[in-house]
Amino acid sequence: MTFKYLYISFISLLLLTSTVVVNTLESDATYTLLTTKREFIAGESIALRFAFTGDSEVLLYASNSYGSILLEPVVNDKELKFMLPEVMSNKSGVFNWQLQTTSHPISGHITIQPKSKIEAIESYLGPPSIEAGGTDYTMLVVIPTDDLDNPLADSTSVTIKHQFLTNTYVSDVMTKNGFAYKNISSETKKGRMLISSSCLDLNSKEFDVNVMPAIPTDFKIDSERIHDYADGNQITTFKTSVIKDRYDNIVSDGTFVTFFITNTAGYKSKTSGTTINGMASANMLHPDFEDQWSVKAYVEGMANSDTIVLNYKQAISDFEVAFSEDNRTLTLGPIQSFMSQRVPDGLTIKLSIYKDGMLVHQPIKDTFNGMAEFYLDKDRYPKGVYDVELKTAGIVKSYKTINL
Amino acid sequence: MSKINKNILRGALLLSYVLIIALVIYVFGAVYSYLNTGADRSKMLHTEVKQIDQYLPEITWQPLTNEGRPIDTQTLTAIENDYLDGWFVKHVAYKTNTTIGIDDYYTESARQNLFNIIAINSKNNTTVVGTTLEHHPTLEFFSEDGQLVVLTDNEVIEYKQIFKDNALITEITEKSSYKVTLLLEDGFWRVRHMVKIKSEPYTVFNSTQPINTTTINGINYYPQATPWAMFGDNFNPDIIASDFELIQSTGLNSIRVFVPYEDFGKSDIDQNKLAQLITLLDLAETANLKVMVTLFDFYGDYSVLDWTLTQQHAKTIINAIKDHEALAVWDIKNEPNLDFESRGKTLVTAWLAHMIDFVKSQDPNHAVTIGWSNAESATILKEKLDLVSFHYYEDLEALDTTFKVLKTKIKDKPIVITEYGLSSYSGLWNPFGNSEDDQAEYHKTIQTVFSEHDIQFMSWTLYDFDKIPKEVVGRLPWRQNAQKHFGFIDENGIRKPSFLFITKKKPSAQQH
Repeated sequence: MTFKYLYISFISLLLLTSTVVVNTLESDATYTLLTTKREFIAGESIALRFAFTGDSEVLLYASNSYGSILLEPVVNDKELKFMLPEVMSNKSGVFNWQLQTTSHPISGHITIQPKSKIEAIESYLGPPSIEAGGTDYTMLVVIPTDDLDNPLADSTSVTIKHQFLTNTYVSDVMTKNGFAYKNISSETKKGRMLISSSCLDLNSKEFDVNVMPAIPTDFKIDSERIHDYADGNQITTFKTSVIKDRYDNIVSDGTFVTFFITNTAGYKSKTSGTTINGMASANMLHPDFEDQWSVKAYVEGMANSDTIVLNYKQAISDFEVAFSEDNRTLTLGPIQSFMSQRVPDGLTIKLSIYKDGMLVHQPIKDTFNGMAEFYLDKDRYPKGVYDVELKTAGIVKSYKTINL
Repeated sequence: MSKINKNILRGALLLSYVLIIALVIYVFGAVYSYLNTGADRSKMLHTEVKQIDQYLPEITWQPLTNEGRPIDTQTLTAIENDYLDGWFVKHVAYKTNTTIGIDDYYTESARQNLFNIIAINSKNNTTVVGTTLEHHPTLEFFSEDGQLVVLTDNEVIEYKQIFKDNALITEITEKSSYKVTLLLEDGFWRVRHMVKIKSEPYTVFNSTQPINTTTINGINYYPQATPWAMFGDNFNPDIIASDFELIQSTGLNSIRVFVPYEDFGKSDIDQNKLAQLITLLDLAETANLKVMVTLFDFYGDYSVLDWTLTQQHAKTIINAIKDHEALAVWDIKNEPNLDFESRGKTLVTAWLAHMIDFVKSQDPNHAVTIGWSNAESATILKEKLDLVSFHYYEDLEALDTTFKVLKTKIKDKPIVITEYGLSSYSGLWNPFGNSEDDQAEYHKTIQTVFSEHDIQFMSWTLYDFDKIPKEVVGRLPWRQNAQKHFGFIDENGIRKPSFLFITKKKPSAQQH
């Protein structure tokens, strides 16, 4: 029992003295940086060595471009060695450290340079299509990186090449802030431009940029029709000339052209088409009465055509109307066109029915085999006196005081 | 009898049918509505991400002279937001050693660098709790297609606490510069490259300011009806004006008021309340009183990632009133040493140290103090403060010694007791409490001590209060009741005997 106490007190005395010893050591501890090199290349094995007296249980705060860690030393005689893990030694930039001594922390930094050997060229090209004419340009941004994904040092030469039509161009650009860029302007011709870059003997892949035609210039229009009669059946086709930009490039396929048609009464209609090989066409049904059209085409906001005038002759001179005995069935026709042929099916006939000067109803029918028939129902039109008016192809026929 | 039974049976059957049908309809309805729920289309556009202020370091863009395409404000704001969010998720990742959110703000190859560091840190059981307090980015380049920017972020002030096995190893404050390349991917500006180009330890040069009042003879002020809640709907300039007149007439020359952090809107300051604070200062100026403004009342987070928000809060308030004639002193926080136990002394002190620097950077012309709750804490950060202040609620006899001891530790700075007083409560919850006469005696004695040592003071407080919010002293009735009776004027507006000793000079106004 007494031995046990003796034992305990001895141990605790030992502990106490050792703590005291450690404490005194700590306060006397000195650390001096032995590593003199301040610049390293990424990927090198980097160690910070310190000569020390006293406590070896110190940590090193280490911080690079992306984050911070704590390092434990390898103690070797009177030297502390902190090996930087690859995470730190592989990344370029300033690497700063601080030795966490209890007394006075010492700190410093080293610079890790990227390798001068290239592994990859990251290229960013945009916009992917530009306008011909020399004012618009596309931009190639090149970020050359080493095999540890560090951007190469500034002032690395990057060669930017591009080919257009028969010419090939080469220019050298220096990297700055980790990248190099070049604006590549269009020329007056449209076409496809091929772009590539190279840096330290590494060539990029090929990129292309479409040089699109510039905006269209004014153009001419023309019309085509099989006859000039207002038969309400045939189609007039409007066509543009080849639309070009101011550098004589044919505008892109699909350029939208709108044809505006103004008739004698001032009403406007429009029809539209898109260009193929610079030409657009659009169709319009003939009017069914004598009329004059003024036609002008627009590429909206950019260009327009001249105005052309088209005349349509009256195709139907007259038509016959027959009333049934009870006046309730009206038969029109046969309606004859310009060669006395029966009009094609579908000519519109409008019947207006008035009672006491008031419009009661306005049914519409289309011709079939040159004929049309209206039936005035008893339930709808009770007995009485009506006025009727028939209108087709611009011709109006009125019948007053019809007894139903 | 059997007929009734049959009817009961029928009824039961009918009811069970109804129930079964209801159940079936419910099940079908539930299945149908389940099948009709899905991803909200608006989520595709990231529009539903709520803009909560979580990270607001000071960011100052250098004048735009970038190469490449000219930048518009909207894009610059988008870049700024995503770049700062990138820092934020990085701080969170290193704090927790998890990778949540990293994918959104770092490209595939860049995020690998963070993952590697997280792997090392979690292996070594190291955590880095950090924040950045200032950024000064220069836009170097914006690509023609609007998909790539390069910026140099100059003089980023970084603060880090490094823990190993949950023990704080060190605090680091650095000033670093970075070259950053960002790419627009999936609607996020993501960091592609980040290269630190400069880094040095950062220490703030602190200039101390003399207090621009003569001697502080003041009082802590809350209106009688609305203690701890004077701003907002309760704000009544008439009452405050008449109270200020009363305070001035007693011969006191200053007041101490409090700006509650959350109540004022945290980082997004309630402009209405700020206007009321300005009105209060105007009224003080009219009454010829100087004001000690205590910031961050009821603030208790202190976490490093919250610092930028507190910074934003302080910035708005300071810049609104720093040129006010009535402003005398900034009190960073009331009794922060009471949070040492729950939040950790290191953390609280680190926040205070930073906040002192920040307040001084925003307003170099006013003195800064911290209202420590006792004299023992008053030496903390003393070299950073212009004015050392503490609160004294202990034994009067010890004051003399306490002050003398403190004076030996703080030789070159004025010391002010910014709270002291005695509750005149004796009643059910404390039958042996002090009477109003005891209180008067206390104030009489303490004024003698003040005169003897030339101590500047601010007493607690003008009025007895009816209601004490539970945030102040808790819900315990003996604490609540004691807190109600510290005033020089009781709840009925009658001046207590202690009123005569509100200051060294005799009050000029007569008792009514």
